[in-house]
Amino acid sequence: MVRTLAWSVILLAVPTVGAQDTAVGFFEEKIRPVLASRCQACHNDELKTSDLSLASREGALEGGTRGVAVVPGYPEDSLLIAAVEGAGVLQMPPTGPLPDEEVDALRAWIRDGAAWGEAAGEPAAAASLWSLQPVRRVDPPAVKTPERVRNPIDNFVLAKLDEAGLDLSPAADRRTLIRRASLDLTGLLPSPAEVREFVDDKAPNAFGRLVERLLESPHYGERWGRHWLDIARYADTNGYSIDGPRSIWQYRDWVIGALNDNIPFDQFVIEQVAGDLLPNPTRAQLIATGFHRNTMINQEGGIDFEQYRVEAVVDRVRTTGAAFLGLTLACARCHDHKFDPISQREFFQVFAFFNNVDELGGNLEETVGRSRMMEPILEFGGPDILAKRDALNKEIDDLEHEVDALRVTLESDWNERFPPGEITAIERAREIIAIPPDERSSVQDSVLDRVLHTKVDEFKAKIDEIQELRQGLPEIEWTMVMRDLPEPRDSYIHVQGDFTRRGEPVEPGTLRVLPALPQDAPRNRLGLARWLVSDNNPLTPRVTMNRVWQRYFGLGIVETENDFGSQGTSPSHPELLDWLASEFVRRDWNLKDMHRLIVNSATYRQASAYRADAAEIDPSNRLLASQNRIRLEAEVIRDAALSASGLLSPTVGGPSVYPPQPAGAGQFTQVDRKWKADEGKNRFRRGMYTYFIRSAAHPGLVLFDAPIAQESVTRRNRSNTPLQALTLLNDESQTEFARALAKRVRESGEDREERIRYAFEVCLARPPLQAEQERMAEFLGRMADSFETNPEARERTGADSADAAAWAAAARVMINLDEFVTRQ
Amino acid sequence: MNINRTVLRQRTRRQLFQDCGVGVGKLALTSLFVGNSLYSKPSEGARGTHHAPRAKSIIYLFMAGAPSQFELFEPKQELQKLNGQTLPPSMLEGKRFAFMESFVRKPPKLLGTRRKFAQHGESGQWVSECLPHTAQIVDDVTFVRSVHTENFNHAPAKIFMNTGTPFFGRPSMGSWVSYGIGSQAKDMPSFVVLQSGPRGPRGGAMNWTSGFLPTAHQGVPFLSGGAPILNMTSPEGFEAGRQKATVDAILDLNRMNLEKTGDPEIATRISAYEMAHRMQTSGPELIDFSTETQATLDLYGAKPGEKSFANNCLLARRLVERGVRFVQLYHSSWDHHGGPGESLDKDLDEVCLSADQACKALIMDLKQRGMLEDTLVVWGGEFGRTPMGEVRDTVGRNHHIDAFTMWFAGAGTKAGQSIGETDEIGFSPVKDPVHVHDIQATILHLLGIDHTKLTFRFRGRDFRLTDVGGKVIKPLLA
Repeated sequence: MVRTLAWSVILLAVPTVGAQDTAVGFFEEKIRPVLASRCQACHNDELKTSDLSLASREGALEGGTRGVAVVPGYPEDSLLIAAVEGAGVLQMPPTGPLPDEEVDALRAWIRDGAAWGEAAGEPAAAASLWSLQPVRRVDPPAVKTPERVRNPIDNFVLAKLDEAGLDLSPAADRRTLIRRASLDLTGLLPSPAEVREFVDDKAPNAFGRLVERLLESPHYGERWGRHWLDIARYADTNGYSIDGPRSIWQYRDWVIGALNDNIPFDQFVIEQVAGDLLPNPTRAQLIATGFHRNTMINQEGGIDFEQYRVEAVVDRVRTTGAAFLGLTLACARCHDHKFDPISQREFFQVFAFFNNVDELGGNLEETVGRSRMMEPILEFGGPDILAKRDALNKEIDDLEHEVDALRVTLESDWNERFPPGEITAIERAREIIAIPPDERSSVQDSVLDRVLHTKVDEFKAKIDEIQELRQGLPEIEWTMVMRDLPEPRDSYIHVQGDFTRRGEPVEPGTLRVLPALPQDAPRNRLGLARWLVSDNNPLTPRVTMNRVWQRYFGLGIVETENDFGSQGTSPSHPELLDWLASEFVRRDWNLKDMHRLIVNSATYRQASAYRADAAEIDPSNRLLASQNRIRLEAEVIRDAALSASGLLSPTVGGPSVYPPQPAGAGQFTQVDRKWKADEGKNRFRRGMYTYFIRSAAHPGLVLFDAPIAQESVTRRNRSNTPLQALTLLNDESQTEFARALAKRVRESGEDREERIRYAFEVCLARPPLQAEQERMAEFLGRMADSFETNPEARERTGADSADAAAWAAAARVMINLDEFVTRQ
Repeated sequence: MNINRTVLRQRTRRQLFQDCGVGVGKLALTSLFVGNSLYSKPSEGARGTHHAPRAKSIIYLFMAGAPSQFELFEPKQELQKLNGQTLPPSMLEGKRFAFMESFVRKPPKLLGTRRKFAQHGESGQWVSECLPHTAQIVDDVTFVRSVHTENFNHAPAKIFMNTGTPFFGRPSMGSWVSYGIGSQAKDMPSFVVLQSGPRGPRGGAMNWTSGFLPTAHQGVPFLSGGAPILNMTSPEGFEAGRQKATVDAILDLNRMNLEKTGDPEIATRISAYEMAHRMQTSGPELIDFSTETQATLDLYGAKPGEKSFANNCLLARRLVERGVRFVQLYHSSWDHHGGPGESLDKDLDEVCLSADQACKALIMDLKQRGMLEDTLVVWGGEFGRTPMGEVRDTVGRNHHIDAFTMWFAGAGTKAGQSIGETDEIGFSPVKDPVHVHDIQATILHLLGIDHTKLTFRFRGRDFRLTDVGGKVIKPLLA
């Protein structure tokens, strides 16, 4: 009974279009999508093809040049039906007949009176969407158990639990707490010494001080930076099929540094979206604009450069929607958003902000395009080095021109220089010279050049000189950045999202359902960036706080963290979300402050053990009657094993690295990637520094749900598969980690019991239970026997004694445990 | 719509509850939104079929690079006559091609084929001399000669064929199938990818990604030669008994923690480790061709240990026998532009030789084992090639999206027929055009899935394999 009741509550909480008045519900569910996808691309208020708009009931009733489109109650008299049936001369849509069920739905709808819901974008519809309302700060409510409250967050959570007749779980023990907070804030395990110190700390604010220490760790910026890099779709290659390398790791390091320095979040956003447009931008502010250069670049032959430039601009709009606004803007690329008040025009207004980047586009010659693929870029190195490079390039350029001129001369007097004879190469060249230059194939071009090179000293000298100059070019580090064109590109609505079909021109602009762009704001990315983090934009602080919450509890207060529109879920704790959002803005967008608040709350600090009573009432634990156990992210699984083994190389930042990956991992891409595993320190860097190839990402990352950087990702899946088990069991890196952990454990003491205890302390921050101790001892005994009687196998493990081999096996067990890869 | 989906989700949750085998377990958040536990068992009830299926499994022979229909399947007398003539510019208007700037520089000329065609089988299907083996199975096959697509570059077109959109990162057909109807395989993944030829398919893993669907449904690429799956081999010194003892210790300790915390996610991890271990033990047996008769090996032209399309075809049959739902074979390269290694003569001969016999063998082998009845075999590339020639080193053909040929066999498809026709020079379909979304809709249909109903909500929208299009190719169904 109780369960049924709980479910019906959940059902009601989901916004249900169909549950409204049935006629309007039918319209919203069956008719609006048909009109939007089949008709409104031409028949909208702006284009009014044949003077007909089907964007409103009025328009449909009024009809166009051919007559009234909809006669409520009379499908047979409605031109709309005649057109979609193709019964008369008129056949719509021009792309081909509609499926029968859509025609039937249209007929039924007209027969029943052609009810119409409120149009997307009408003020009434917008007004009802909770997320567009101004952030409303209410006082933390009173609760039944005030003694459990550590800060206002707990008031909001406890109040909801009170209503449901539940309460918070007891606080987690200190061992669980330090492991939890260390993993959440730094992504690394606490050392046994740190655990002991915290457990023994009798001071009243021991946990608070632990949190301060973790927030000051340089690894905090790595941990939270990696979350941001998911959103920024960061990768080390260009994507698509060729997927060649790019250089943008400086942007990754900028994110880590900015978070460690705790720069205010509004500034964090402005510098990434428009750092280049700030007055006298610093080098760091330019690097920050790499955020929107993480779009993919297609290097395939024969492409239309404009098409992929447009895709990159669309990706920037989509990312802006997901990262800051929690709106599915991309839905409005082809037509007005079917559910949220965003028109196609508005989509292209936002598009226009990003349409002026001085990057590759248009109808370019292949060769010209290829040389500028990654621009705009920022180069590093002093002015002297750059000047040297430019001078060398100039010299090379001049020489190449000379070579071109020489080639023309040589071709014209080839027959005088080399009278017809026996030498094949010369005859082959003669044949090629006979072909007009622009009809020669690239192979013919290179054959000719080879002949010139071997037969004409003057030609050879110049070519060799070019080669030499090229080798002298200094290596200059660079990173991809934003830079606008001096003259903005014109922007248009793309009819049905197709960039080759230009609709009306548009100017840069924001969404009308949100506070307007100030009159004096510049109509460029800087204006947009400031608008995103303006005090009266309700979405950015809500979306940001929701996402921070999601990292700590597994789910956001709004479960659909990237959709705060009408199709998203409602917040489980709307007042808490608003309180957090307002507190965030009030504290000048100070992120570390907000981490401090959440992590110090009783809600965060409670135990994660299962509660039967709570599950009855709240099966998905939205009310947070306990913490949630969360499997670690791909990178952090590696980081945890690195810290347990003692192998971790803690260097922050720098070019990406190449840890071992299983043989054959690159076999399935177009280009079989060379992957030479690093030796030395770079072999043991944190997972986030692994060189990320979009089309062939390291299997250890992707198998554990790391996003593949095709587009912005605001929440990762947490899957649990046999292939993950195979990786943790058998991967070369895991074997290395286990061996190092075993060594560490064996050095910790002589006694088996003592060692098992230490292994648990290192990996799980707790001693083993009696049963665990016994099971592990039994396993160790068995393995030692097995390796004793089989020295050949022992040797192949690389261990010098049966005991060492047995411990390597035990260490392998430890880093495969569910608890090891889970934040409890 | 919303209500139904919510109910469905609740039902899934409840089932998980019961399936976990841990009494009343706490539902981990992870299970709630990714349905992890569905990996190892069929997921009927949660999603499942919408009508009686004709196909249990799919073997999709993806001919990467786009084979030329004019050299293989489409004799066009008119094109032979017009060989060397310039294509009227009106036919190019509004069309977009790869390497378009070369067309703009010089209007392309029509190209007749040098290959000889004949009608084959009782059904009299046209196949050229390039594919003498395929010519022998035409009575078991339906040719669709009017397929058209939307993207003229390799990677987006492959992605389109596999995911229904040209955008990278959306779920692939095999993932949708695995997500929709689960797996029958006890010790193999439900979606396996094999590869042969000089290079991997353009777009790489994007062709078999699970996109926003749970990762458990992504295609698992099998490696050629040696262990078929990454990390399938135990570390040195941990063979047989010692690996089992290790896994047992992990399982026991996890069970203790499951008792303590009640988190069903631990139960899922336990079954994942059990299955991983089964995969390790059955893997070597899977790729051990010594259980095949010499006659079977000869039929395919398979040579144990070799990295070849023939071996992959045989492996595909063995995978399907073990219950794998979707096996996709990529074979490269059919990209015959006329450049070095891309000639319509010697290089086309070579790739035909490497593929032709095994295609026939697969159909015959499946048939004689009674497996063709519920196994669908699909053959085709990402687009076709132009009726115009493209001058590079030799004269080849460019990418063409308006019309090309694919073939289908088995699992309730009609055998020995052709669907669709193109105009006299093979430029565009004139009868029964078939869009890529129609092919996807039909494949799902044969598996018992209504392509409009298999959806997943992501970013506020219900996505499906066929996007907003797709209709089942009725004439293809027996």
